[in-house]
Amino acid sequence: MLKAMLRGLLAHKLRLLLSALAIVLGTMFMSAAFVAGDTVAQGFTSLFSTVNSNLDVQVTGVSATGQDNPDVITALVPQSVADQVAKVDGVQESTAQVISDGARVIDKNGKVVPGTAPRFGAGWTGTSSLLQMREGNPPSGPDQIAISANLAQDTGYTVGDKVDVITLQPRKTFQLVGIFGYAGGRDSLAGETTVAFTMPVAQELMLGKPGNYTSVDVKAAAGVSQEELKQRVQTAVGPQYKVQTADEAAKSQASGVDAFVNVLKTGLTVFAVIGLITGAFLIFNTFSMLVAQRTRELALYRSFGASRGQVTRSVLTESVLLGLASAIVGLIIGIGVGWLLKKGLEALSHTNLPVSGVVVKPYVVVLTLLVGILFTVVAALVPSLRASRVPPIAAMREASTPDKPLRTLTVLGLVTLLVGVAFLVLKLTKVWKDPLWLVLGGGCLLVFAGVVMLAPALSRPVTRGLGALFGGSVPARLGTRNTGRNPRRTAVTAAALMIGVTLATAAGVFASSVKAGVTDLFKNDMKAQLIVQTSDFTGTTGFDPALQAKMRAIPGVTNAVAVRTDQVKLGGKSTGIGSADALAAAEIFTLTAKDGTIRPLQAGEIILDENAAKSLNASVGTELPLITTRGGEKAEKVVAIIENSQTWSGPMLNTTDAAGFTSPYAQQGYVQVGPDGDVGAVKDQLNQLFADNPEVNVVDQEQLIKQSTSFLDVILAILYVLLGLTIVVAVLGVINTLLLSVYERTREIGMIRAIGMNRASTAWMITVESILISFFGALLGVVVGTALGVAIVKIFGGDFLKLTIPWAYLIITLVLAVIAGVVAAILPAIRAGRLNVLQAIAYE
Amino acid sequence: MTGEAAARAAEVWKIYGHGEAQVHALRGVSADFQRGQFTAIMGPSGSGKSTLMHCLAGLDDVSAGEVFIGDTRVTGLGDAGLTKLRREKVGFIFQQFNLLPTLTAQENILLPLAISGRKPDQQWYDLVIKTVGLGDRLGHRPTELSGGQQQRVACARALVARPEVIFADEPTGNLDSRSGTEVLGFLRGSVHEFGQTIVMVTHDPRAASYADRVVFLADGAIVDEILQPTETSVLDRMKNLDNEARAAAPGNAAAQNTAGQNAAAGGNAVEETPDA
Repeated sequence: MLKAMLRGLLAHKLRLLLSALAIVLGTMFMSAAFVAGDTVAQGFTSLFSTVNSNLDVQVTGVSATGQDNPDVITALVPQSVADQVAKVDGVQESTAQVISDGARVIDKNGKVVPGTAPRFGAGWTGTSSLLQMREGNPPSGPDQIAISANLAQDTGYTVGDKVDVITLQPRKTFQLVGIFGYAGGRDSLAGETTVAFTMPVAQELMLGKPGNYTSVDVKAAAGVSQEELKQRVQTAVGPQYKVQTADEAAKSQASGVDAFVNVLKTGLTVFAVIGLITGAFLIFNTFSMLVAQRTRELALYRSFGASRGQVTRSVLTESVLLGLASAIVGLIIGIGVGWLLKKGLEALSHTNLPVSGVVVKPYVVVLTLLVGILFTVVAALVPSLRASRVPPIAAMREASTPDKPLRTLTVLGLVTLLVGVAFLVLKLTKVWKDPLWLVLGGGCLLVFAGVVMLAPALSRPVTRGLGALFGGSVPARLGTRNTGRNPRRTAVTAAALMIGVTLATAAGVFASSVKAGVTDLFKNDMKAQLIVQTSDFTGTTGFDPALQAKMRAIPGVTNAVAVRTDQVKLGGKSTGIGSADALAAAEIFTLTAKDGTIRPLQAGEIILDENAAKSLNASVGTELPLITTRGGEKAEKVVAIIENSQTWSGPMLNTTDAAGFTSPYAQQGYVQVGPDGDVGAVKDQLNQLFADNPEVNVVDQEQLIKQSTSFLDVILAILYVLLGLTIVVAVLGVINTLLLSVYERTREIGMIRAIGMNRASTAWMITVESILISFFGALLGVVVGTALGVAIVKIFGGDFLKLTIPWAYLIITLVLAVIAGVVAAILPAIRAGRLNVLQAIAYE
Repeated sequence: MTGEAAARAAEVWKIYGHGEAQVHALRGVSADFQRGQFTAIMGPSGSGKSTLMHCLAGLDDVSAGEVFIGDTRVTGLGDAGLTKLRREKVGFIFQQFNLLPTLTAQENILLPLAISGRKPDQQWYDLVIKTVGLGDRLGHRPTELSGGQQQRVACARALVARPEVIFADEPTGNLDSRSGTEVLGFLRGSVHEFGQTIVMVTHDPRAASYADRVVFLADGAIVDEILQPTETSVLDRMKNLDNEARAAAPGNAAAQNTAGQNAAAGGNAVEETPDA
């Protein structure tokens, strides 16, 4: 039986190929995600092992705020502790290091060298097996530096040049005396740039604390194990310092990479699953068609004595084979794509990962194959059960599959839809809030599923209505009628397209609402017309907060405020915090006191917003302990509680105690121009004020809005590209359905050709059907997506989101659906046009 | 107008395959089909009767020779020319009715005119409808009609465009004898009352007896013809053909005998598939 069955499978190659493509795409995404992720993770882990190859044990400080920034080191190791470590029994050699993010080199054009990777400033501790001099000499005087080879390449600086560097202190000029590289000919270890100062200079500029280090690297004497040495060192330095073996250090250094890898894996897996669900619709349709087509064949098996189970199993076996074959192809392509992703990441980060090829772990292979098979089999389950219900007598009958009534399905769909809507309404009215994934996620899913089930009942009236738009020509009319002929098939085909469109539309509604919300926010609550901002968000850059007075002094300016931000521990909790001139901030950010009064803050005073007050359980008069990265512990008294605001959130610290922040700089400045002032002129003045600070730029409200929402554009762009791929899968589904229709209607097409329809009209008839199916799917998607988007905006909205429907985008989606329909029709239309009239008529 | 050929085959050869597997389906067939005449083409299975009709209708190309519909040379026409020919000069009636399930009876009847963008001649249309007797079923879908009714819809569809010639391929093959009689009577009526030209392929002697003329094919060649046939005369002629064939090719006798017996049994045999 298996042999006969396999022959049946192979008899429908093209159709299977189309459905297989969907599974191939899905499994490809998935395996690519895991392969790239694992490769990058392994690459970085071995990279950090290389970094740590010269040490056995590392001693570092413990962050006072409980919030470890892996790059900007503020938890330090003093000289005394370094000396203690050196004396521990079993230490062969110990090297105290200074290496911290925040050394910004000014290039030959006067701009700060940009980069997303850390820009380390380090104290020179000599060359090693890891670090080698390429050119010149190590820095030996307070005004000398050496730089890493990648930095030299990026800037074009050569030994002997004068180079300006901004650190914790404003820009200073140094003489470049040397260029260094790393073992294995690397210009950089992981894309980072490094400026090496002499140790005292590094301590001053990178840490702001002479006589301190960021770590002490220890080499064990012969016969002393890493674990043993770790214990000894830990005992010597006490619990306020972190002591790790080289492996542990490598792991914690790689933790940032792990987070990135997880985002990569999760993101791509989500798209893989969306692709696979889309594919499942396609598989469902294909197998339904195959079963319908093979009714006679299956009935014949039954009449020979095959049991129902055998028939079900035979169809399921086909789906397993199809899933397996597709998943294997998907896996192979995915490994290739994973390799490309790795290459892309290497190019982006200027790194060479110490991994040749890619890492393909066994679990990836197993998972990919399982998922591919699972989706295919689940999708084929219903058709295979239907196959088993074919009675033996069907072998004798004219093969006709009477349309089952849609009533049950429609009622079920209606109920599902209503339950879904009820979920969302309950969430919206806050009657039922948690768990979010169930109320909101479940609600959205039920609404979607309900509409999918209603789609067959909707397909006929909707496509007929839409078909009228094609005019009354014969091919258009026939195409329209054909679309309504098999509502289930039309609906399932359209539903595949609906998935991608629904997601993209909902995301589009949400994103445009965020945009509108941000715009409103800036226009209404933000009184500043000009905003001074720093070029990056590492928190190390900025301008002297004292410049607030100078900004305010510019003619036409009515108010200005410099804002510093950091991460601190307040009342025992890690939190983001801002510090600003309270009166100026209250005016510019439209802040109002709910309790107490907003007044200029003295040292030891703090303002909280309602949220912060609630989470810290504080009220006016409460004293809260504040720990800053550089300032130690202080007590702060709450003088006012302000209403929650979209322009300022969290605590506002007095400017005096902000001296303990990681960065000595203000990160943002807000400048309010009076009604008589000239914004352009003020902007020019501001630019002059910051002329010597290349890390600061001045933008107006429009630019700020654009910047604040640009991340949405990026996210949406990625979303659309990937959803585009699911739409490609859906189009394959349309092609598939149409090919089957052409095949099933061979005789009909032959007849209308025989009575005088020409090829072009025949092709147009198929195209109309194709457009109607695609458009129907896109329309459902747009409607459901908009509805869900609105629900999500209303649920999450608060005051921040302003419901906005992206009409232009919706129209573009529908136009694209029409184009997709035309494209999908090409192959089936050609087939229909080429049918040999005689053979078509004679066709049984 | 009568006496002029509505369709004409001149020295038509149709050869399938190559070399050893070569089959001569038609061997130099020449025949005229007069205007306003009802012609039946008969012959045992494999005699080439369906092939001849397909070639005459432009559904199949000929290997040699020429085919004309009216004054149009069918041989050598491209797809566009054939489409035009089908729109203007040819009508079809099939054994399987071949109605579009999505259209009502009326829409099916008007389909050829709609396809070629012509308006129906209302008087003619009414007359055709009246003749086929479908008045109250026009709004029904094919699935709601009996086989006989479906075939009458198909006949009306062929007639309403007033083609030069209607080709009917076993039109009664899928009908019970009562419905078959109705359809045949209707076809003969359309020839005698409206001057329609019909060429019908059949292996049912009773169906052939409704024709004005029966052309007999055997082994790809015309071997005989009868004017004003009766069921008996046709049956006799068929038997003779069978015997001649048996004498000529003993290997084929059994198969042809079966076909002959089926035909003799009343013409309701449905197992025969078109020669293509």
